[in-house]
Order: sequence, then C-alpha cells, then structure tokens
Amino acid sequence: MNQTMTIAEMTLRETVRRRGVLVLLLVLPLAFYLGRRGDHLGQSIRFVCLGLAWVLSAAALFVGSSARSLEPRLRLSGYRTHQLFLGRLLALWTLGLLLSAPYFLLIRFDQHNVRYGAIAVIMLLGVLVAPLLGLALSALLPRDLEGMLVLMTVVGLQMILDPAGNAARLLPFWFSREIGTYAIDHTSVGYFDRGLLHAAVTALLLLVLVAVAFGVRLRRRPHVKIVGGLS
Amino acid sequence: MRHEIWLAALTDELRRHGVGPDLAAHVVAEAAGHLRDSGEPPLRAFGPPSAYAAAVADSVGGPALSTRSSVGPVRLRAVDISKRYGRRTVLSGVSLTVHAGQVAAVVGANGSGKSTFLRICAGLVGADGGHVELHGTVGYCPQAGGTADFLLAEEHFALIGAGRGVPRSAAAREGARRAAALDWVPGDAQARHLSGGTRQKLNLVLAGLGDPEVLLLDEPYQGFDRGTYLDFWHEVWRWRDAGRAVVVVTHLLNQLDRVDIVLDLSAGGAGVAA
Repeated sequence: MNQTMTIAEMTLRETVRRRGVLVLLLVLPLAFYLGRRGDHLGQSIRFVCLGLAWVLSAAALFVGSSARSLEPRLRLSGYRTHQLFLGRLLALWTLGLLLSAPYFLLIRFDQHNVRYGAIAVIMLLGVLVAPLLGLALSALLPRDLEGMLVLMTVVGLQMILDPAGNAARLLPFWFSREIGTYAIDHTSVGYFDRGLLHAAVTALLLLVLVAVAFGVRLRRRPHVKIVGGLS
Repeated sequence: MRHEIWLAALTDELRRHGVGPDLAAHVVAEAAGHLRDSGEPPLRAFGPPSAYAAAVADSVGGPALSTRSSVGPVRLRAVDISKRYGRRTVLSGVSLTVHAGQVAAVVGANGSGKSTFLRICAGLVGADGGHVELHGTVGYCPQAGGTADFLLAEEHFALIGAGRGVPRSAAAREGARRAAALDWVPGDAQARHLSGGTRQKLNLVLAGLGDPEVLLLDEPYQGFDRGTYLDFWHEVWRWRDAGRAVVVVTHLLNQLDRVDIVLDLSAGGAGVAA
C-alpha cells in the first residue's frame, strides 16, 4: 500500500508542476460548456461532461507515456506491476475529482430544472473511466501521438454518432449521453440504469486491459531467475 | 588562490586520485611548508590542485589499492546468452559470472552489444538463448533516462527507496550521502533542469539506494568531469569492498587493470571473460 501511495503522490507532484497543462485541463471543458450555453443548455451539460472525460483521458495518456522509461527501473527497485498502474490511477482519479468539482458547482448554480444528482454521477463515472482509457492507450501504444490520435477519434465519434444507435454503445463514454438524457430531459430511470451498467462494464474491461498491458510490458523475462530480493 | 583553499582542494584531489590518507597528509604538509617558506602563490608554485595531485599519484605508481575483501558467493551468473535483432546477431554465447566483492567491466566497440547484454542481465530485454541467475536485489543505472523530469532529487530518493522498503527520511539521508561521494549536493532543481552529468549522478545514486547486492551500471559516467569520474570509480571500489557485485559497461580502458573481470564483446558478439 505504501508503494502504491508513493506512486500516486509522485504522479500528482509531477502533474501539479506542469502548470500550463493544468490550466488547459481546467479551461478546455469550459469551452465545451460555453460553446452551447447560449442556445441549448442541455447540450452544454452533455458537452462539458464529455470535455472533462476527454481532458482526463489525455492527461492519463501523457502520464502513462512519460512514465514508460522509468517503470522498468521501478520494477527492478521492488515495485509490483499492479502498484505502478494503481498508483497512477489513484493520482488521476484524485485529479479528476478536483477538476470536476468546479464544473458541478457551475451547473448547480447556472442550470435549473435538471437532476443534479444524476449529473454528479455522470461526472464521477467520467472520472472513473477516463483515466482508465488514457492509461490503457498509453500502455498499448508506445508513443504519445498515436495515443492522442486514437483518443481524438474516440471523442469525435462520441460527438457525431447517434446515441440511440448500437455502434455508439461501443464507445467508452456512451453512458455520459444516456445518463445525461435522464438528468436533462427527465426521461425514465431506465436511461440511468443503462448508463450505470455501461460505465461499470467499460471500467471493468479497461481495468483488465490496463492490467494485462502493463503486465506484459513489465513482465519478468523468462531467461532470468531471481533468487531472493525481487518480486 | 589563497593557500588554505588550494591546500584543501589538493587534499580532495589526492583522495580522488586514490592517494592513501597518510601519503596525502604528508604531501599536503610538504606543500604547505614550501608555500610558507617561499611565499609563492600556490598556482605558480605547483599549478592547479588536480594536475599536481595527478602528478603525485603517477609518481607513486597510481592509486593505492585498498585491501581486497574476500570474494563471496555468486551474485550474477549469465550463461550462453545470445541475442539477435532481425538478421543481425548482437550476442552469441556470452557468459559471465560475478561474485560478491567483484567488479566486472564489459567492454567492446560501439554496437558490440554491451548495453544489450546488461539489459538482458537486468531482465529488461529478452534473450534468444541462455539464462541469467541473479542472487539478491538489483540496482540498475541506465546510460540515459531513468529519471522523472518533474521530480526533485529528494523525491527520486523517496520513490526508489519506497520500492526497496527504505523509509523516506532514511532514503533522503542515504541519497544525500551517496550524492556527496560524487561531489554533488542535491538542491531544489527538478531533474529536467539538471545538467547531463548531474542527472547521471542522480541515476547513479538511485542505482545504489537501498544497498542492492548486484549493481548493473551502463556507462554511468556520461557527462562527468574528470574529478567526478574518479569519484565514480571510488564509489565502485567501495561497493566492491562492501561485498557487492558490480558490472560496469565501459568503453574507457584506463581503469581495467583495477577490475576483477573483463568481458570483451568485441570479438563478433562472443564474449571473452578474462
């Protein structure tokens, strides 16, 4: 546990020192929000939730990519693979909560006649899923650029695909549109339940993907036999 | 340069050049006496401290060898290692055994597979043939990278220390002590702001943190000035005397007479340990 918390702490320290990145992380969802605030308040809520998910995924992608060269050394120093990715996830989940809180307050005081509890759930699920997506991409794709292009494709499709279609359900943030409809348009609770289930399944699949990808990349090579000292 | 400052610098340089403490004290006392009697400025009388110390070390036949501790059990055994990248064979049938209390140097031309061999020993790269036994914990110092750009040196100590189960305050103390041995005082600079040589000092300190039994060092002296380069070899010999097994990848040959094993990878990828 101490090792996982140390990784989380150091990841947070590194991220907080990238002040320019932090400002962009905070401002980008605001642009999504303000873009549709004038003509469609409901859409502005959906877009700000997607914006938050996008910036958190991007932050996780870069955190994961920048740690790639250090992680073999950390494994040799005694860290277990799961401590490395769980520590980074803890840091990113904390960052996500801190980034989402002001947007929830903004919606709370700027929008009326919406289900605030459901909007909080969308944000919490976004904070849960987005870092998993970014970390999975960083583990699967060796360079930032490839990961970023895939991330842009995912979020772009999320914006243009009809949420009622089957293809949209394969996207990682489909739950956000579904619960958003429940929160904004006051539809039946079925929308909320479907969104919750989608987020849970997505998070689980991504967690397994992250664990497998990290495990393969940081595996002990079969030619090495370690007698005492390393896990 | 004032006499006291020059004499203090000479003391440091004599230590760096491996001149024993008794002889160093004698040399410094003689130099102080000469400066006092002649009234000459030290730079005119003797030149820079580093050059004078080098001349003294040469005149007494090189650095003093410390009393060798006995060789202990096997810490690293690499047997019949082979590695290919595509059609190119990088390593073929390379073997190396290093015991506790031994220093091995891996030498060879650029592209001869020195770093690949070390990474295979560390388990960072797969081998196409052969096997490696590691007895105990491993400290690894890469040729470049291996640090986090936005973390301070002390945070690196805490990070690596936590992996080895060293409490944070103890890791900070040990890191500062090892840094001092390389003539470096870690400050408040993030790793990305350190010079290349200082970043390698950080890398080297991290490799030794927590006293691993096996140290794998991949040309760790990149960017070191001459004084720090000598400090580095003193650190290697201290590790050896403390019973550690040390493997150093190097292309600089002037220290090879002071290591226990030389693995030469120049001969077409087939290593020869001597």
